[in-house]
Amino acid sequence: MNNKNIKAGIIVFPGSNCDFDVYRVLNEVFDASASFIWHKDKIKDLKKYDFVVIPGGFSYGDYLRSGALAARSPVMELVKDYALDGGIVLGICNGFQILLETGLLEGVMLTNNSLKFECKDVYLKTLNFDTPFTCAIKRDSVLKMPIAHHDGNYFATGGIINDLNKKVGVIFKYCDKEGNITDKSNPNGSMHNIAGISNKTNNVMGLMPHPERSSEKILGSEDGGYIFRSIIKYIKEK
Amino acid sequence: MNKTEKPSGKLFGLAIDEYEKISELLGREPDDFELGIFSAMWSEHCSYKSSKVYLETLPTKGGKVLIGPGENAGVVDFGDGDALVFKMESHNHPSFIEPFQGSATGVGGIMRDIFTMGARPVANLNSLRFGSFSHHRTPYYLSEVVKGIGFYGNCMGVPTVGGEVVFDECYNDNILVNAFTIGIAKKDGIFLSSECEIGNTVVYVGSATGMDGIHGATMASEEFDLKKNKKRSTVQVGDPFTEKLLLEACLEAMKKKLIVSIQDMGAAGLTSSSFEMADKSEKGMIIDLDAIPLRTFGMTPVEMMLSESQERMLIACEREKFELLKAVFDKWGLNCVNAGEVIKEKVIKFYYKSKIYKTLDIDTVVNGPEYKRPVKKPDYLKEIMPVKINNYKIPENLNDIAVKIVTHPNIASKRTVFTQYDYTIGTATVVPPGFSAAVLRVSGNYEEENKNKSKNDSKGFLLNVNGNSKYAYLDPFTGGMLAVVECARNITACGGSPAALTDCLNFASPEDPEIMWQFAEVVKGIKSAAINLNTPVISGNVSFYNETAKKEGDKTYVSKIYPTPVIGMLGFIKDIGKIITPYFKEEGDEIYLLGEVKGNLGGSLYMDLAYGNFRQKPADLDLDYEVRLQNCLRSLIDKGFLKSAADVSEGGIFTALAESAITNPEKTLGFVVDYDIKGRRIDEFLFSEFEQAFIVTAGKELSGSQGSIAAEILTEYGIKLEKIGMVKKDIMKINSIINLKSGKIKKGYYSVI
Repeated sequence: MNNKNIKAGIIVFPGSNCDFDVYRVLNEVFDASASFIWHKDKIKDLKKYDFVVIPGGFSYGDYLRSGALAARSPVMELVKDYALDGGIVLGICNGFQILLETGLLEGVMLTNNSLKFECKDVYLKTLNFDTPFTCAIKRDSVLKMPIAHHDGNYFATGGIINDLNKKVGVIFKYCDKEGNITDKSNPNGSMHNIAGISNKTNNVMGLMPHPERSSEKILGSEDGGYIFRSIIKYIKEK
Repeated sequence: MNKTEKPSGKLFGLAIDEYEKISELLGREPDDFELGIFSAMWSEHCSYKSSKVYLETLPTKGGKVLIGPGENAGVVDFGDGDALVFKMESHNHPSFIEPFQGSATGVGGIMRDIFTMGARPVANLNSLRFGSFSHHRTPYYLSEVVKGIGFYGNCMGVPTVGGEVVFDECYNDNILVNAFTIGIAKKDGIFLSSECEIGNTVVYVGSATGMDGIHGATMASEEFDLKKNKKRSTVQVGDPFTEKLLLEACLEAMKKKLIVSIQDMGAAGLTSSSFEMADKSEKGMIIDLDAIPLRTFGMTPVEMMLSESQERMLIACEREKFELLKAVFDKWGLNCVNAGEVIKEKVIKFYYKSKIYKTLDIDTVVNGPEYKRPVKKPDYLKEIMPVKINNYKIPENLNDIAVKIVTHPNIASKRTVFTQYDYTIGTATVVPPGFSAAVLRVSGNYEEENKNKSKNDSKGFLLNVNGNSKYAYLDPFTGGMLAVVECARNITACGGSPAALTDCLNFASPEDPEIMWQFAEVVKGIKSAAINLNTPVISGNVSFYNETAKKEGDKTYVSKIYPTPVIGMLGFIKDIGKIITPYFKEEGDEIYLLGEVKGNLGGSLYMDLAYGNFRQKPADLDLDYEVRLQNCLRSLIDKGFLKSAADVSEGGIFTALAESAITNPEKTLGFVVDYDIKGRRIDEFLFSEFEQAFIVTAGKELSGSQGSIAAEILTEYGIKLEKIGMVKKDIMKINSIINLKSGKIKKGYYSVI
């Protein structure tokens, strides 16, 4: 597997803390060329990247509201331009929250219905295989990945949900081991068990579970790797 | 305090004779500023004045130890040029006063101790003690402490991979929060607090100094009276986001070689960091109090010196590199000010309002009193006798007792606690919390190109924290040993080799000779086990005065905790692929008992639940046998013969079997055990605790093709392996006496807490 020609940019804010995990997995497990983009780096656009990841963590301490401060950082203007231009943007956990706060994705994140931070393995069902993030996922497969968040309870108004459903923008839902979408398998109270959504053009996706923590067998699951595999496949075939 | 006032009783935690000693050293009575400095530096918390004579007897060298006690944390050689840095510290008093901030800053403080040394923190563990599970304040403390730990560790991006949660009424008035952090560094990239050079610039970095935590160190060196809430201002307030920035800034500055020497501002803040750095470096310092960034306008010099505001560090750097250092901290948006200079003369000169404010002799301040306090064997121990089991009739339905035991809060799953901690961040957690020991691999060193990554990625390390205060109360010497042995068993049961340990010794007042006796015995026990298991003590902490004056009606009394030694241990494994977990794997696997069962119920949970009396002498520990047993088990695991191994700890063999059956994350298993108890009582076999034995499982090969090699190993170590049963689905049966449904037990086990 040589994916060295595939360039990934990982946006780093003060307080990002999954940046290195994503970096390591992309470079060492998938043999791509990932590098960090410090939020203050003086760059004028993100065109040189094949895709951009906004990693998890506690950007700006998640003070005010998860992702709210990072969303207003100048580097996010570049991400917006990049996304509107068709660039592939993946937001994981806090990255998902930042994408919502930026408006690149629609809806809001509420506190988990347990009112607690939840760290555990969850199972995911893929609803749309026709995206850069899911094109290498096996049909009918159930993916096991860990979550680790306090505010992952996705909420949106009826109009947005309808839109998401229509445009197949709901990408992942929490389910049980067998793939049934049940209340019991919903770890945070998220509306319709939503775990990950995309924008209307399917080039921007946010998800709460951590694919970078589930890309190696020794960590208990390789399922998260299918997301990175998909992105790489999509870029190669483009 | 008005300085003309004559002291009466304790003053800022100083005893009268200590006060007089200070006056004698100064040739006059101390003023406010001096009194503040002395009271902090001579506090039990900073000076270890009551414990030092005992701690000095502990083995601290040998094995893989690179740096033992005395620095911010201890350092162990991890091979391939890698080093692991770890320590455990208590934050009991603050956590009892304000559980959320107290526990959060406990975690923040211990992580700073680790990255001060140049190591990136890679895992946190903790040991928590709360009052009785049914005490009305326990839910409050439990939920706030857990929230505080998660708040800090999660935001820092350091996984919390293990720990223990224990409930006992002896902690109703004094909860315990002991926090452990381990970090990874390069062997040649360790930073110390003892390397200041004359002419270095003294640099203050991190958060501004505020009014929080003033007198924290002296507060932690006193018992609680009836006015606990008055001490809230002595608790620090944590900001994990700033600490995350401080971590990145410090490690970046270290990598760029901009730091000569560094110490965290922990207990007694600027006071202890400046005096200790200067003392260890055998130099002096100028400290310019005008330079200290403040949160509160008009703070007095003594307030600045005693503030325990978090997320601050004191650094010595080469004068010409100060601007470069500042650029790094600027990048991370943190304060970085030139706050003085390292000088030759062994004094600290404080400047305030541009004038010399005070000069204090370092030796005088740091060489506080040392005590060999009186000891006396406690009276209660006279009543602690070996259990006379024949005086106790076997209860009619042992199944009911068995259920009570596995669903006891101290045994039941702590899943709802550890799922509030991020334990998967860092992509290194191979065995998550909830099993014997946490197992981690080396995933990298968090920098572009990952160039400082270990050259060897097949190795791993194991972590466990453990202590049993009930046993330490019933027999302090055995209790001390047991804490060490139990950690080692948990590490060995996964296939690891115990390498070194850190200790957190939580006790009531050292001024009580009976408590001091307990302390001396516990340390003796730790020493003896640490020597035998070859696990040197590389760091640690003592927390005294865990007692509270209480009033009930007209009666006043002192509520004291049991002696609570907690050990944090590190183990290694060469090939992480050989790790095994404690839970059963497949129906049809064979269950063995490795080791010996003595059947001593003294002090057991069973005695407590069945007869309401646990106050008996626990079984003695044979350390020579223990070492052979653990070596034997490790050898069997290394050969790949075993599928699971669990030690026999609290709740006895029944609990070890039950937990092995129900903690498999994929399925619910059970067992059928048929064992000849040779005329002994069945309850002694089922429920006696901390036996020198393991429950292990293997496929059929162990009694077949692998049999002869296994037999050789067993003979070599002189250890017995007996087949006692088989892994089944859904049922738990022992000698036609225990007959339970796994599903029901599992439900109870996971729903108590």
